[in-house]
Amino acid sequence: MTLWFVRGLRRGVVTTRYPARPEESARFLPGPPAFRPGALTRETAGRLAGACPSGALRLAESEGQADGGALLFDVGRCTACGRCAAEAPQAVTSSGAFELAATSRSVLIKEIPLRGRNDDTGRTA
Amino acid sequence: MTPEELRETIARQFGRSLHIRTLDTGSCAVCEQEIRLLAAPHYDLHRLGFFFTPAPRHADLLLVTGPMIRAFEVAARKTYDAMPGPKIVVAVGACALGGVYPDDPFTYGTVDAVLPVDVWIPGCPPSPLALLHGLGVAVGRLTEKVRDLPFTAEDDDERIRGAR
Repeated sequence: MTLWFVRGLRRGVVTTRYPARPEESARFLPGPPAFRPGALTRETAGRLAGACPSGALRLAESEGQADGGALLFDVGRCTACGRCAAEAPQAVTSSGAFELAATSRSVLIKEIPLRGRNDDTGRTA
Repeated sequence: MTPEELRETIARQFGRSLHIRTLDTGSCAVCEQEIRLLAAPHYDLHRLGFFFTPAPRHADLLLVTGPMIRAFEVAARKTYDAMPGPKIVVAVGACALGGVYPDDPFTYGTVDAVLPVDVWIPGCPPSPLALLHGLGVAVGRLTEKVRDLPFTAEDDDERIRGAR
């Protein structure tokens, strides 16, 4: 107890200042992935959707063949397991986001554009 | 009273002191561990005016974890009904948001199948920092940020270059 008291006095306050100030340790937290649209082909996105154990990733139904389509990422379902990053490390990285609370369920569902939607459309069509 | 006035009143009343009842609807208890850490010295939830209470009748906010197993539905509804209004329901963790057991026959899969959820906190488990942010969003002290996050990385992101 005495030792703890002396150590506590020497180190100062241990409590985070979080809501008022940014928290330094937040970058070490496991977080949901971020995707790199330039490396995300439809084939890669299909593999990612197959590797996701919690159904957070799925391919959007593409209306036209010329359209590159999109990968739907449900942040709410993501368990930050890292299997997508292991499946395609060139297309997936960590987002580093942790302030993910939402007042509406639908804002947690993100549409990730696939490669070929904007830049390669003319070439593939 | 218009909805805006009601929202302002709730934010004023809940913005200072708020009592939390946690409800485990079949979670693996890791969310509970993170919730318990909120009261530890590093996060010190009480400095922000949040307190845990064992009684739903004293609670303003219901922190629900787990995928809402069907056997728990009656207890969940009773807990919600016992809370005095105005009340907030916060769903915590990927289970509560429908990620882990969406098709399990013994669960509803999501908390909002039974209770009206106001704030969703993703994560498996959400870290105490994420829970603090979620509680701040629930009482209107912090702004929600996930709406503007694209979850896409730029091509010249150094973390991606390192992974190559």
